[in-house]
Amino acid sequence: MSAPRFREDLLEALSNASGVSGGESEVRALIAAAVRDQVDTLEVDAMGSLVARIAPAGAAPAKHRANGAAPRGRRGPHAMLCAHMDEVGVMVHAIEKDGRLRIRRVGGIDPRILIGQVFRLGPKRVAGVVGVLPAHLLTKEDEEKVVPYEDLYLDIGASTREEAAKQVSIGDYGVFDSVYESWGRVRKGKAFDDRVGCAVLASLIQERPPIPVTAVWSVQEEIGLRGATAAARRVAPDLAIVLEGTAAGEAPGATAEESAPHMGGGPTITIQDRSLMADVRLNDVLTRVAARRKIPTQWKRPGVGGTDAGKIALSGAGVPSAVVSVACRYIHAPAAYLDLRDAQRSVDLVWHALEALRKEWP
Amino acid sequence: MSSATAASLQSTLPALLTAYGPPGRETGVRQALRRLLRGTGTFSEDAIGNLHLHAGRGGPRLLITAHMDAPGIIVTKVDSSTGAARLGILGGRRAAELVGATVRFEDGRVAVVTTDRTGGKDGDLDADALSLEGGAGKSSGRKRAASANGARGARLEVGDVAGMDDRPTRLGDLWCAANLDNRAGCAALAAALRAARRSRFDVTAVFAAQSDLGSRGATTAAFGAEPELAIVIDVAHVGDSKETSGFAVGKGPGLALKESGFLAHPDALELVRRAARVAKTPLQYLIRENEGSDARAIRMSRSGVPTAMIAIPARRSGGLWSLVHADDLTQVSQLISAILTLAPKGAGSPSRRARRGKGGRR
Repeated sequence: MSAPRFREDLLEALSNASGVSGGESEVRALIAAAVRDQVDTLEVDAMGSLVARIAPAGAAPAKHRANGAAPRGRRGPHAMLCAHMDEVGVMVHAIEKDGRLRIRRVGGIDPRILIGQVFRLGPKRVAGVVGVLPAHLLTKEDEEKVVPYEDLYLDIGASTREEAAKQVSIGDYGVFDSVYESWGRVRKGKAFDDRVGCAVLASLIQERPPIPVTAVWSVQEEIGLRGATAAARRVAPDLAIVLEGTAAGEAPGATAEESAPHMGGGPTITIQDRSLMADVRLNDVLTRVAARRKIPTQWKRPGVGGTDAGKIALSGAGVPSAVVSVACRYIHAPAAYLDLRDAQRSVDLVWHALEALRKEWP
Repeated sequence: MSSATAASLQSTLPALLTAYGPPGRETGVRQALRRLLRGTGTFSEDAIGNLHLHAGRGGPRLLITAHMDAPGIIVTKVDSSTGAARLGILGGRRAAELVGATVRFEDGRVAVVTTDRTGGKDGDLDADALSLEGGAGKSSGRKRAASANGARGARLEVGDVAGMDDRPTRLGDLWCAANLDNRAGCAALAAALRAARRSRFDVTAVFAAQSDLGSRGATTAAFGAEPELAIVIDVAHVGDSKETSGFAVGKGPGLALKESGFLAHPDALELVRRAARVAKTPLQYLIRENEGSDARAIRMSRSGVPTAMIAIPARRSGGLWSLVHADDLTQVSQLISAILTLAPKGAGSPSRRARRGKGGRR
């Protein structure tokens, strides 16, 4: 059976939605609405992760289980597929007397990209700009240093604390003001890390999968892999594949080897990162399936980054885990790029890997 | 000194030191331990790569662990024109210690760690300054991604993992080798398991994987074994201990009172002290603030496990080599033997055992 089609409509909606770590409800509602009719059970766990069970084709629908693995047997291993819903952003942590907002970052945003950036704040999506000193007030020193977070402020056009407080509250999240667009083969938008993974996962379960699957759209990945830690313990899968958007490494002047993985180079497979030694047998299945199906793949540069897979692997008595990512340029920034072919190939690769796991997993 | 234990260690340690087993790729050392311990119990392996040896004969559940991984490197990038590679460090080696080291891959290929950085302090070196020279010329690039099990030449490929190519030597009473941490612990535990007559505990010995990446194997092993009492065997370098504690090579087994994130449990300490009296081995105390072992992860498993950590004292050479006194090693092994054959006392309250009987774990 051929793999389901990647749902670009969902990627677009998810990329445009706001969902900074801890505030994923808008994203969760979109995904829940998109997958409700495709799954056997759908629930939100105590931390806010969205958990869906799907029985394989030809089997009775999966029943809701508060705890423990889906029953095993001839149907193959129980796989947890996981993508995180949250994105990096900022949080309002104080309102100054003059109406300016002090901000903290949530997750890893490079402070160098923030000056002059427009954010959308809170449920009203109030616009604010990260203030810039005018040129005539800049000293030579200022020009050479990166402004630390403590010195940054957001300007929403309010001139008093009272005026600002009518628009925003302390604790409001801010996301990059950015809209999904098609630029030739490239898709541009914010939060492709990891809305592309969310969309790949939702696409995969448009059909009943070859083996029992629990799909988890996790919360709070960017601030310490928190949602997946709790979800993995509860799902107790036989194996896990984490679906990610990861940083493409291309830079002007860099050699092909230096700049891997490449946008458009096919699904990116992790060998090792700061959180995980990927399971060797699972990676073998992925690479064998890729070769058989002529799906190009590439390795993620070892040693960098970390994903939910690191926590899932250490859950309970241990879970064999792997990571399949779409390589995106400029992640954790307002305009990330991805190549749609990579998203479809990720769906293809994981789908056919699930088929292979039905027969090849002990 | 019991000549039987000493002779056993003398013959088994070199093979364990030279076995392949960097973190996450403990294949060689696992095989060597299986050979060494054939007939002493039932083996199993888990998702993280731990080797479990179950020698259960009733009584309280006792977990004894020694981590079997030793620091290694992973190829992160290969220059297609020269074949030279960049590397990341797996485990607790500083970049400066690795300069000039010979590393060995699972298939026997060797390479040398080089640096073209001269001048400056060694402490300034990071892994980015290191290269790996395998002498193989042009790389075949991404080929391996497409054929995981395909033929591989002498070339280095991204994701290849190597351990130190160890050359153990005996300097008088001292063992001098690169992988003593913690193959010395594995040897001591294996010798004790081979020598032990009927144990009064329900013993699970775990040779833990991925310890150098943050006690990953110990985390899942402790969860799975659900012990009532645990003993960790590991090498501790004298430079890491408080100078006032007098912890030294040649003064017998160390008993850790405190490590980073770990305080030994009184019941577990008492068990080791009783065993030392029976075995007539000396004990010295280890107190260290910034270094730790797998004891922390096991101590904190589930609702907490009474845990003690027995240390083999070692000295650093400043480079690859560590020094361990053969008598210390023999005494640690004898101490473990005594623990295995002691009558349990105080450990394993009836309530805990009853609970396990009811609820099906795993």
